[in-house]
Amino acid sequence: MASRRTLAHPAPGGPGAWRGVDLVVAAVFGVAMGVVFIAWDYLLNAPWTALTLAFPPASSLALGVWLLPAVAGGLIVRRPGAALFVELIAGVLEYLLGNPWGPGVLISAVLQGLGAELGFALLRWRRFGPGVAMIAGGLAASLEIVAYEWWSYAAEYAWPWKVAVLGFSVLSGVLLAGLGGHALVRALARAGALDAFGPGAEHAARSDRR
Amino acid sequence: MRKSSGRPRRRSTGGLLASCGPLSLLGGSFALMAGALATPRASGLMAGAALLALLLPVGCGRGGFPWRRMIAAGLAVASVAWSNWLLATPHSWAVAATAGLRVGLFVVPGVVFAAFVRPAELGDHLAQRLRLPPRPVVAAVVAVQRFERLGQDWADLSDIRRVRGIHDRRSPIRAVGGFAEQALALLVGALRDAAQTAIAVEARGFSRPQRTGVPRTWACPAPWTATDTRLMACCGGVATVSVLTGALIG
Repeated sequence: MASRRTLAHPAPGGPGAWRGVDLVVAAVFGVAMGVVFIAWDYLLNAPWTALTLAFPPASSLALGVWLLPAVAGGLIVRRPGAALFVELIAGVLEYLLGNPWGPGVLISAVLQGLGAELGFALLRWRRFGPGVAMIAGGLAASLEIVAYEWWSYAAEYAWPWKVAVLGFSVLSGVLLAGLGGHALVRALARAGALDAFGPGAEHAARSDRR
Repeated sequence: MRKSSGRPRRRSTGGLLASCGPLSLLGGSFALMAGALATPRASGLMAGAALLALLLPVGCGRGGFPWRRMIAAGLAVASVAWSNWLLATPHSWAVAATAGLRVGLFVVPGVVFAAFVRPAELGDHLAQRLRLPPRPVVAAVVAVQRFERLGQDWADLSDIRRVRGIHDRRSPIRAVGGFAEQALALLVGALRDAAQTAIAVEARGFSRPQRTGVPRTWACPAPWTATDTRLMACCGGVATVSVLTGALIG
């Protein structure tokens, strides 16, 4: 490992110059994550529902899973709007398939995407390590809870519980979406699925050095 | 870019919702949502719910609605009521029921409306009527149309894992690990496919309007009709009634 971290591979052509491949791959990534979510629901729905009924804030511990498209999308495409775009696609897919929250899922997708976007914006879309991924995950979770869920699904919770929900969500966003998203993107790059993107270029550079 | 199919729009007999475009279905959902969240008291929520109970079946018409979708929404509303009872101080069934009713007031019609939104049509309307940037919209429509194939890929991967004997469900940890492997395989395949699709759409001029300024053409029109206006008026009316009733009747 080099001791001095050089600047990560930024998006080609400047951050705002979306290529066709950025758009198509980001959109398909969002839909594929939706398929994975549906399979996950099928596998784990029953035990998870039982757990959340016994202790409702536990459902916040799973929030990070739903933020994965935003964080991973931002890490892959590395352009302003990428996190929001991918999260919106995943949200629209859930909406069309008849998810239980109706239009609420679209509000959530916008807020989660914007939160993650804020995390990447703080480092001006130049750093894409685990640190910025964790910040993006944490901010995505915070915005979702503070701007929406406190006033809708958790409207009557006592304040200590509202704060607990926020804490669990941020923890989940940082660990599952942040670290998990970073690991997911690394794995995809290793598999050669991201050759047209920054993570793929970094993986190639790492293998050359060895 | 030209869209692949000029399929005529499906129009079932009867039912306001079936002949509405996607924008009024979405706009109506959001109007109801804003109304529900702004309604101060249970009386208003009940007035809104009563109106919706009358209007929704009429809106669905004889074409009907896949009512199975309502099971998950019903569970979601029940879980909201339950958690707002459990975690409130003091515990109050009235307060919890109000919280559940408030969420139900936008979730139930929202789920019904969503069943009438067609993805390709939504893309047409978002780009042509709302004038959202066309490239992201078209990319999104392309991706959503992949959904069923990706679902089939997932089933194929499951079968392959079973046949090869690497499908292990004896311990939950291994099951989760296997799930992660399978998810990664699906994503890798999807992303490689997407990169090829990107080349294909670029070859057909996906980004050309961006580069040359030649206006993009669309295969299907995206009209806003009188039915759309009617739906918006109904949803706005229900929202107004529930807010006003809640504010005036204690």
